[in-house]
Amino acid sequence: MIRRGAALAALAAVVAGLAAYPGFASGYGVRATLQIFMWIVLASSWNLISGLTGYVSFGHVAFFGAGAYTGAILVAKVGWPWLPAALAGGVAAVLLALVIGYPCLRLKGPYFAIALLGLNEVLRALVSYFEGLTGGGNGLSLPTLDATIPIYYAMGASAASVTLLTYVIITSRFGLRLMTIREDEVAAEAMGIDTARHKLYAFLLSAAGPGIVGALTARDQGYIEPISVFPLATTITMIVMVLLGGKGTVWGPVLGAVVLFVAQEVVWARYPYVHPLLFGAIIVAVVLLMPRGVLGLLQSRYRLPRTI
Amino acid sequence: MNVFVTPAMLAQVVVSGILSGALYAMVALGLALIFGVMRIINVAHGPLLMLGAYTTYFLYSALGLNPYLTVPVSMLALFAVGVLLERTLVFRVVDAPELSSLLLTFGISIALVNLAQLLFTSDLRSVEYLTGSWVVGPVALSKPRLVAFVFAGALTGLAFLFLRRTKLGKAIRATSQSREVAMVCGIDVQRIHLITFGLAAALAAAGGALIAMIVAIQPEMGQTWTFKSFLVIVLGGAGNYPGALLGGILLGLIEQVASLFLTTQLSEVVAYVLLVVVLLVRPTGLLGGRET
Repeated sequence: MIRRGAALAALAAVVAGLAAYPGFASGYGVRATLQIFMWIVLASSWNLISGLTGYVSFGHVAFFGAGAYTGAILVAKVGWPWLPAALAGGVAAVLLALVIGYPCLRLKGPYFAIALLGLNEVLRALVSYFEGLTGGGNGLSLPTLDATIPIYYAMGASAASVTLLTYVIITSRFGLRLMTIREDEVAAEAMGIDTARHKLYAFLLSAAGPGIVGALTARDQGYIEPISVFPLATTITMIVMVLLGGKGTVWGPVLGAVVLFVAQEVVWARYPYVHPLLFGAIIVAVVLLMPRGVLGLLQSRYRLPRTI
Repeated sequence: MNVFVTPAMLAQVVVSGILSGALYAMVALGLALIFGVMRIINVAHGPLLMLGAYTTYFLYSALGLNPYLTVPVSMLALFAVGVLLERTLVFRVVDAPELSSLLLTFGISIALVNLAQLLFTSDLRSVEYLTGSWVVGPVALSKPRLVAFVFAGALTGLAFLFLRRTKLGKAIRATSQSREVAMVCGIDVQRIHLITFGLAAALAAAGGALIAMIVAIQPEMGQTWTFKSFLVIVLGGAGNYPGALLGGILLGLIEQVASLFLTTQLSEVVAYVLLVVVLLVRPTGLLGGRET
């Protein structure tokens, strides 16, 4: 109980520190932290469907892109303020997940992974095709607006919400059912779990966060184009973050997002030309050397709770 | 949208579809072999094809070799690369969950593409050896595509003969049917994995070498080939090797026919919808089941 209290106090201190941070930080510091928040949302969301439920989504950036385009179109063409546009981005991503998830969640293993990979390519093609609405390959510019600090708080709130949501799910019966599906879907079905429904719920929840931060990112950057919001590399980055931190845990994606983002910032600045090569090496190393991630390792060594 | 399709146009797209379909079939056969034998989807299949294309390009431009003679050289070189990759990295994820093998081969894939960008730059390069086309009645046959079709057909035929007739080929098929039983029969499964991976890389390299004579090549040319090959093996039935042939021709035809009515971007959408529908309706592929 004392340890729990201390952990909560430390968490509260971190949250308070991050809330006060823009008051004294440099522009770069705010911008980098904002991006870490974004990655926490993306990694934690991927963790819900893939880490917890075991359905490997290889096209999760599709929801980010769908949210980005929804938000950007609402801001640039309809004149909505960015906050409701961001929420609409989340709604659009969830609707997309509903349409895609209903058929695709019947697919197993690598077939599901590749079907979602294809989804991402298709969305990019469609966005390029409907030029009237999306600007096609030329991209879409948003009216200029200096809202970095409000967006920092919105991203931070999203990251906190997704982490809290993951905690609530992992400690609930719903989460236990998802993990049962991950371990053995047939057994889960035999135990009376409505697997189709549970998988779909997990998928919908995992789409909301990327949709919202997609729209926020579009607003923050002021310009989006198909190749900037649908890159496969973004999906891979979120996967590697989760694997690095520990999949199926609450804090693994957060830890992985922070560590990998900082590492990439350092590498990016020094070796831009060989960045993909180094990233490839990191992926190979994580897969081969620590497939359960940092927290998975600690869990098995120190008998940490499953709900960490 | 084009509503006026003449019989000549239809004949043209059917011929073009079959010509490119044979290439799809050959490249996809490599992916199908790895998937059948090792249960791995090799995301680096396309980048291996890209390396095959560059091998041919450099042998042609630097040494002045006849590009068609470079095809076996590219295949041998990439066989070696495949063997090396399998022995150092890929064999470690054979029994791991699919996430591990997908990610590992993706890591290899971006590393290869990046290496190619560093070594060869991103400039578009082409092997201009055979150009122009033969006109037969209403149909124009592009020369390099026709020769590529012949090569692909011959190499695919050889691969099938190898799988059907030779002891090693039978061992590969046995391993893909049941690894345990193959082991019991005294087959060295590790060695079969190694050879399969090398063979698949060689088939990809042959594809790359032939493509280099048709279109301009660049380091990122491979990725779409990974997806297309996957589509082909889904159409034909994963693990069903003759199915890859049918799937390849089918994909070629679908792409060409779709290009009559739709823009390239929408043709991609058609291919994707097709992938999902086939997976849902006939998860074992159009020919059904695994090869017996």
